[in-house]
Amino acid sequence: MNDLEIVIGLEVHTQVKTESKIFCACSTNFESPPNSNICPVCCGYPGVLPVFNGKVLRLALKICKALNCEINKDIYFERKSYFYPDLPKNYQISQYKMPLGEKGYLEILNGKKVSINRVHMEEDAGKLIHKDNYSLIDFNRTGTPLIEIVSDPDINSPQEAYDYLNSLKLLLIYIGVSDCDMEKGSLRCDANVSLRKKGATQLGTKVELKNMNTFKGVRAALDYEVKRQTIVLNKGEDVIQETRLWDTQKLKTVVMRTKSDAHDYRYFPEPDLLNFYVSDELIESVSKTIEELPLEKKRRFMEKYNIIEKEIDVLISYSWLAKFFEEIIQFYPKPKDVSNWLIGPFLEQVNNLDKGFSAVKISAENFSKIVQFFTEGKLNNLGAKKVLSLSITTNEDIDTIIEREKLVQVSGQDELLKFVEDVISSNPKAIQEYLEGKDKSIMFLVGQIMKITKGKANPQVAKDMLERRIKK
Amino acid sequence: MIDTRSLFGLDISEGIRKGDFKANEIYSFYYDRIKRICSGLNCFVEAYGEGLNCEGRSSLEGVPVAIKDNICIKGKRITCASKILSSHIAVYDATVVERLKKSGLVIIGTTNMDEFAFGSSTENSCYGPAKNPWDNTRVVGGSSGGSAAAVAARIVPFALGSDTGGSIRQPASLCGVVGFKPTYGRVSRFGLIAFSSSLDQIGPITTNFTDCANLLNIISGYDECDSTSVSLEVPDFTKSLQDNVEGLRVGVPKEYFGEGLDLEVREAINKVIALLKNKKAEIVDISLPTTEYAVATYYIIASSEASSNLQRFDGIKYGIRAESNGLKELYFKTRKEGFGEETKRRVLLGTYSLSSGYYDAYYMKALKVRRLIKNDFDSVFKKVDVILTPTSPTTAFKIGEKSDPLSMYLSDIYTISTNLAGLPAVSFPCGFSKENLPIGCQIIGKEFDESTLIRVGYSYQQDTDFHKKMPKE
Repeated sequence: MNDLEIVIGLEVHTQVKTESKIFCACSTNFESPPNSNICPVCCGYPGVLPVFNGKVLRLALKICKALNCEINKDIYFERKSYFYPDLPKNYQISQYKMPLGEKGYLEILNGKKVSINRVHMEEDAGKLIHKDNYSLIDFNRTGTPLIEIVSDPDINSPQEAYDYLNSLKLLLIYIGVSDCDMEKGSLRCDANVSLRKKGATQLGTKVELKNMNTFKGVRAALDYEVKRQTIVLNKGEDVIQETRLWDTQKLKTVVMRTKSDAHDYRYFPEPDLLNFYVSDELIESVSKTIEELPLEKKRRFMEKYNIIEKEIDVLISYSWLAKFFEEIIQFYPKPKDVSNWLIGPFLEQVNNLDKGFSAVKISAENFSKIVQFFTEGKLNNLGAKKVLSLSITTNEDIDTIIEREKLVQVSGQDELLKFVEDVISSNPKAIQEYLEGKDKSIMFLVGQIMKITKGKANPQVAKDMLERRIKK
Repeated sequence: MIDTRSLFGLDISEGIRKGDFKANEIYSFYYDRIKRICSGLNCFVEAYGEGLNCEGRSSLEGVPVAIKDNICIKGKRITCASKILSSHIAVYDATVVERLKKSGLVIIGTTNMDEFAFGSSTENSCYGPAKNPWDNTRVVGGSSGGSAAAVAARIVPFALGSDTGGSIRQPASLCGVVGFKPTYGRVSRFGLIAFSSSLDQIGPITTNFTDCANLLNIISGYDECDSTSVSLEVPDFTKSLQDNVEGLRVGVPKEYFGEGLDLEVREAINKVIALLKNKKAEIVDISLPTTEYAVATYYIIASSEASSNLQRFDGIKYGIRAESNGLKELYFKTRKEGFGEETKRRVLLGTYSLSSGYYDAYYMKALKVRRLIKNDFDSVFKKVDVILTPTSPTTAFKIGEKSDPLSMYLSDIYTISTNLAGLPAVSFPCGFSKENLPIGCQIIGKEFDESTLIRVGYSYQQDTDFHKKMPKE
């Protein structure tokens, strides 16, 4: 094993966010009832012709630029032929000889630049639903725009493949082209894996792996396949070039087809669509829409803000969250405190909203006040959280809420003295226990003060006063 | 009972507007002709007892029109004369059909053709061969043979056909009518069941150039549903109905007058040349040296595209489905039972030339030769305005005569190059053989210069009356 090197290449298909399909006007919403978003064009009826949706080109270009690809400006579509019932024309309109993007790279978390072989546009197929002795076809997905992103055989471990996929997903979500939901099928991954002697220049015989439904599944399938191929090679046998399926039940790969069954796709230029030219203006205008990418952002945050890496990873995991963070600190420049409140109470409350972040209305300025009032003691933890919950979807002014709900924390000793006396005189048992060394009893007494002040007392001040008073 | 056989479509429409006859009288007259005469000629696939109601207005409103069986008409059976589509009902209107309806033409039925337009005789039809109205033992040409025969026999005033390598012009020539193939991109292909996407073009088949110009006005123009249609402004073609060819430079390519050309056809074409010369056109001898490669180039490109276009006919979604156990058998049996022999031949040929290992030697090479053929035309059109040739080397041959596919392929030898170059071309009747069979003359024009072709044809028809002759009934 130790003298073998693992070589992995990944093919990722991602659906991109367009309203309509790539070659017709049908909706791409595939949560609709089966065969409701279909028309003669996407069902391949006799006589129909495709018309290219320019939005797909913009999104594909955005991916190419984010992956540092060279752009081929004279491009055309080709037909890839194979017979299958979910492919109505029995050919897929795709790109082969002249992909939109080539020779790019994706930098992953460990700093490695995994080279990208190609990025191209194509149409998705439909879905087959197999019943006992018949099958049904749902053509809703047929013609959904897909972008295929193919890495070079440049990945050297299953873990690195896993990191690559996570980095790619984060990037695609960041630039707003795809929701990358593997469960919904909006991101799919096939892997090619082979082994070779360390230092060898020629690649070993590769095996293609399919049917992995999660990134962890990809990693597990690769782990399995590396072990399997190692055993084969150590026995002095040859790895057979074949396509294998990941069996998610048995957690092993099984043969799907061997090379001799490989398709001849008979690619040729799609005569129903014209060749087209990608102008510099278009490339430029798309490039302008790409903001800071996740890895750059992470590095900048680590340099600029005194926050631990784990928290930065959370902040940058959503571009809107990172953006919100930086807006808030414009008003209240204490990154650590702001980060704590965002990652903690804010995300917790966002997760409980039906519509998630899209329902959030609170402005950065208003949010900054909550953090500030908490940090400066005007609000206690409980009060601050309550203010947040009242303003998160309304953006109601924080000062107004605090005044209406009477949430200002009471920290003045003069104001608290009466409550401290009351609690001490009505809880002799707890005081006795405290004096006998049971430290926890003091917290019970603090709790009593919080209760009668309806949560407004500053608990730290109250605790100090109690201790001083009892010890007297 | 009215008899409008000798009238142009334009005159019929005017007669309806003026009240000389009623639209339904006209429709009944032609529908009756389909029922009475067509059974002997087998030129229709279906005729509609009631014409498809069309509200629009135009110079041709109210006139019945027949449609080749490969152009979709919503709600009607459209089959490409193939068993595999024998049960297929079109779910939408082709753009040309939509335009005819909007212009008030009345669609009367669909016409016979070679299966999927593969052929030059309309013998490759699942409905059997159409017969030539001038001699029932002879072919009508193809693949738009049903449309050409129907117009020649005045069963309809005019019809639409499609032309991939001569499929409008060659049958027009063999039946003695005007068949016009517009420039590639002039007419939308949306709804034309594709044979070869980069070559197919829909065009009118009429008895005369006046109707031809009027029909072209209706069907031409950019269509957002067809990316290969061109967004050029369409001229009013009726403005080219002028009797004037003075100073027009007419090229006559020597390669089109070589071996295989019937003497009678040659003589008839020479008479056209003499007539045009007499009308002060300038005749120029030219050469198109790549002509000899056109047939081979065409059969590679057309069959390759066809093999791909026909992949969708698999028994899954529409058309017939063979009884089977399992998917592979379903594909095999459906296509085996559903496709005719010539269709299978072309699918095999195309599949072969697109296969890896053969692609460069066949398809790729053919694309390069196609470019050379186009270059040939480009350089000749610097010297001439139009090119004049025979349409077909012979008059109509006997049904069953050409059993060897290659000899059949060669009957398109004069029409194929223009499709490869995307140019407009028209065939019009220019004489009759001793056996009283029509002879056709072809004029090829510059890209998007249909107007000049109409002017030449119109001028010619002012001095001749071959287009007025009707076959005996």
